[in-house]
Amino acid sequence: MFTIIMQHTHGRARVSFFLAPCIMLGEVLCDLQQPTLMSQIIDHGLARGDGRYVLTHAALMMLFAFMGLGFGATCGMLGSYASLKMGEQLRAHMLTIALTSRDPAGLPPATLITRITNDVTQMQNLVMMVTRGMVRSPLLLLGGIVMSVIVCPNLAPILFIIMPLLVVFLLVIVRRSIPLYTKMQQAVDRVNLLMRENLQGAKTIKSYGLEDHQRAQFTRGNLNLQTTSLKASMATVPLTPVIQLMLNLGVIIALGYGGQLAVAGTISTGQIIAFVNYMIQITTAIVQTVNIITAFSRAITSATRVHGVLAEAPAPTTPAAQPVPIAAPPAIDFTHVSFGYRQSEPILADITLHVPAGQWLGIIGATGAGKTSLINLLTRTYDDYTGTITIAGHDIQSLPLATVRQAVAVAYQDASLFAGTIATNLRFGAPHASLPTLVAAATTADATEFIDQQPQGYAAPVEQLGKNFSGGQRQRLNIARALTPQAPILVVDDATSAVDQSTNARIKARLAKRRRGRTTLMISQRVTNVMDCDQIIVLDHGRLVAQGTHAELVKRNAFYRQLVQTQLGGGAYGHA
Amino acid sequence: MDMRNRPRRNIHREKVNLGDWRPTVRRLGGYLGHAKRKLIITFLMTIVTTAVTVVGTRLNGIVIDRYIHADTLHTLLLVCLAMGVMYVIASGFVYFQNALIIQVAQTTSADIRRDVFANLQQLPMHYFDTHDNGDVMSRLTNDVDNINTALMQTFVQLFTGIISIIGMGAAMLVLSPVLTLITLLASAATYAFSKAVAKRTQQAFMTQQRTLGELNTQIEESVTGKQVVQGFDHIDATMATFTATNAEYTTAAFAAQAWSSVIGPFNNMTNNLAYVLITAAGAASILLGQGGITVGIIFTFLIYLRNFTGPINNLLDLINTLQLSLISAQRVFALIDEPPEQDVPDALPLPHPVGHVRFEHVDFAYAPDRQILHDVSLTAEPGQVIALVGQTGAGKTTIMNLLTNLYPLQHGAILLDGHDVTSLRRADLRHAVTVVQQESFLFTLTIRENIRLGRPTATDAEVAQAAQQANAAGFITQLPQGYDTLLTENAHDLSQGQRQLLSIARAFIAQAPVLVLDEATAAIDSNTEAMVQTAMSRLMQHATSFVIAHRLSTIQAADQILVIADGRVVERGTHAELLAQGGEYASLYNSQFEA
Repeated sequence: MFTIIMQHTHGRARVSFFLAPCIMLGEVLCDLQQPTLMSQIIDHGLARGDGRYVLTHAALMMLFAFMGLGFGATCGMLGSYASLKMGEQLRAHMLTIALTSRDPAGLPPATLITRITNDVTQMQNLVMMVTRGMVRSPLLLLGGIVMSVIVCPNLAPILFIIMPLLVVFLLVIVRRSIPLYTKMQQAVDRVNLLMRENLQGAKTIKSYGLEDHQRAQFTRGNLNLQTTSLKASMATVPLTPVIQLMLNLGVIIALGYGGQLAVAGTISTGQIIAFVNYMIQITTAIVQTVNIITAFSRAITSATRVHGVLAEAPAPTTPAAQPVPIAAPPAIDFTHVSFGYRQSEPILADITLHVPAGQWLGIIGATGAGKTSLINLLTRTYDDYTGTITIAGHDIQSLPLATVRQAVAVAYQDASLFAGTIATNLRFGAPHASLPTLVAAATTADATEFIDQQPQGYAAPVEQLGKNFSGGQRQRLNIARALTPQAPILVVDDATSAVDQSTNARIKARLAKRRRGRTTLMISQRVTNVMDCDQIIVLDHGRLVAQGTHAELVKRNAFYRQLVQTQLGGGAYGHA
Repeated sequence: MDMRNRPRRNIHREKVNLGDWRPTVRRLGGYLGHAKRKLIITFLMTIVTTAVTVVGTRLNGIVIDRYIHADTLHTLLLVCLAMGVMYVIASGFVYFQNALIIQVAQTTSADIRRDVFANLQQLPMHYFDTHDNGDVMSRLTNDVDNINTALMQTFVQLFTGIISIIGMGAAMLVLSPVLTLITLLASAATYAFSKAVAKRTQQAFMTQQRTLGELNTQIEESVTGKQVVQGFDHIDATMATFTATNAEYTTAAFAAQAWSSVIGPFNNMTNNLAYVLITAAGAASILLGQGGITVGIIFTFLIYLRNFTGPINNLLDLINTLQLSLISAQRVFALIDEPPEQDVPDALPLPHPVGHVRFEHVDFAYAPDRQILHDVSLTAEPGQVIALVGQTGAGKTTIMNLLTNLYPLQHGAILLDGHDVTSLRRADLRHAVTVVQQESFLFTLTIRENIRLGRPTATDAEVAQAAQQANAAGFITQLPQGYDTLLTENAHDLSQGQRQLLSIARAFIAQAPVLVLDEATAAIDSNTEAMVQTAMSRLMQHATSFVIAHRLSTIQAADQILVIADGRVVERGTHAELLAQGGEYASLYNSQFEA
């Protein structure tokens, strides 16, 4: 955890990180002076009737109060600075890793997002805590003990009896309550789950008339939550009264025992008062320390989770290669390409495939057959395959990453849009594309109708992840985005699942009409989407099982024929 | 000490606007009715414990002044012993009062949760369509928590705070008005400073919150859309935008936090200053021999000082906590008061439904100004297969939602076995009609329990048989735990096709005479699709079936095909008849073969 903080604080931030606790020491020392000075005023000033002594010591106390403010404020600011700068660096670092990582077994997006947002905030709080609370409370505790021993050595045994008792008591309570709180958290999660599922599945519940069944489940969960949270809260109830009691008893003993010593002339009244004040300070410090330890243990979990992201395999740096102009339209060749994390279950096995320049290739197969993986290798999303892949005769491994990605434009299955405008989204792969280029792309993708309906047209706002557009509209914008860069290779990866059949047919027809100058790969599970391609390949469990035109495959390949039968053949339902 | 992850208290509290809060308080009072005795006991105990603090502190001072003398040593020990006994009793009271309050608060929030949930279950479908799940969840969780926190804090802190302030204030005033003034000024300064800082940093805090929101959005978006960011070689541009927002956030957050990080040290300083002033002023008046101040009084004040500023600040915070919790209570009660779906009086039972369905001139609108369905009529004889086709958004799913009386009609009627569906008992109606949705919800239960939801009384053997008929038994038995596999998060680790097979199995077990099958639009793999199709046709053999079809290939044998466009039935007939007509259906059918 310390390593993470060190790696992400530089220059002024690192200086602040180390300086803040040192300055905090100043604040603590100032605070610790107060009771001693006060006891001196009482014992010396008052006893001798020395007004000047009282005044100078009061002035000294004020000075310490102001110095304390100075130190405390400086420490607070330095701590904020260090924690925020660390957070800034850490977020940027984690996001870069998340975006550049090409590890196919990497963390899922939802986990990454939580870690870059919540866990980094937790880390920031942690740094704030380390620079302030972690130092202040223990120092105050230690300083309080030292000072009270110095000021009043005769009463110190009281501290050495009460404080260990208090610490042991606190530890026992905390240890006992942690498993109870864990249980309560599980009960909370369970109740939340029941609530959420009842909202999400409202329609299913109504259709099957499951209201009573669900309510019975909830009642059980709710009762369990009530019992467990009662148990957990009750476990910590003794904290306040017992701490108060110990403190008060300490004060009484100090007064009773101290009073006797005072009568014997061993100590003074002022010393007793100072001692009692230190005891109050020490007790507060103990409670704060325990609080900080609990908070700290939570932050540690976040640090571990952050570390998990930072430890993701960094993207291998490829040797700087000379950009090569890719002739349009290029041919694509896969030669004995295999890919997979486990030898026993290859995702792609020994694929050899020649796509002539300007051809329209259909790729068909079931989910998990390897269709998308084929594209991920072509765009160099993953590099750890065997065999060779070439575009226009160049091994893609010898090309700069940017060249490959500019040569291949993909309309992905997942039509993620980004907050901005329609235009900024369409220009994603071609920042300088002209408006007519955007319009042409949108026309091919059959998206002009709804874009033109927007009052601001191409400048219409797009919300996060394109939430303000329907699934079908998002998919059309997604296709237009892939068309805008006018890349020599276009891949359409099952990108029309949410558009209706006639729109789908229109898009297909327009893509075909404007295919000149471009090599096109059309991935689909639907026979109708690939049946007109120049060539179709059938993938099954990572193997290329058949290749040919629609007519040839219907004749030759049983698997393909069966697909045609299920998807186009008549009469699945009914009594006929 | 609280070990739950509470958000740190923000000095910029939510501004609240309460309206008339009395009915809400009265209603909360109703939930507390059963705990009246406990609350009164707590209140009495609070008086005792607070009095002990006030008196005990003063006694400390008196001990210092009077009993630390050779001839009163005996009394010193006696007084100390008496104080010890007093403190032990008071601590016992504190324990019991806190324990009682926790019990009251936990019971009350459990009761509120129970009531909210019970009503939520009965709400009409319209409510779920028009309300954000996030908002409803927040009422069920955060708002109930707010009420809980307020209950726990209010009673003890409000009681303690008020009694301490009155008690200590009176005691201090009697002892020394001057020192009291100093103590009050210290409390006021602390409060004023934190208010001033809050005001000063308001702008910065708002910028901080806004930029944090932006930052999180950018993170979420770019990580979710990582494939696109990488594929379009857009990483550098994305990082550039992010870096700018990130820096903006840091600057704003620093402006806000630097100031508020001074609040703690400032309070510490005012306390120390008050400490000095009390000591100095006390000492001065002792030296001058005025004001009847003694060392013991100074001592008493020094301890009062620590105990006084706390409750005052707490009380001021409490007002806000209370307001927030009343707002929460209003939101929660609003949910409890939503009118539930109810059977009409004397609703007809339908013990043996046959499956004759008739729509008569049905008009429907979700919102009054946007009519969805116009004059829809249809008749389905028992056992027939009716297919509905048309473009996305044409109204196919809506028509079927009306069959189970999920929404009220604008005009017209829907009859099941000759009875208007609105006149039937809802439970009977919904048992008579089984809907296999495009995306039926799978609950966090085992596969067996999920299937059994179709008919909770079904035996394990019947579940297995249904899975068999639904073509789902194959993949279920291949899972390591078979039927006992626990599904989580809407069964996200099953494929979409498998999820669909499970919901078909659920429909098999329900054995309803009327079936509605909503075909999935999204692509599922071809093998599974074939299994889904055979399972669906098997399911349809024993029921009147409505199929909402997205692929025309599956419905050619239907008894009747209705073509829906813009909420109207534009064509109806068999596959052959409609093809011969050469209308909408024919062109839809032919379009799938065109390039």
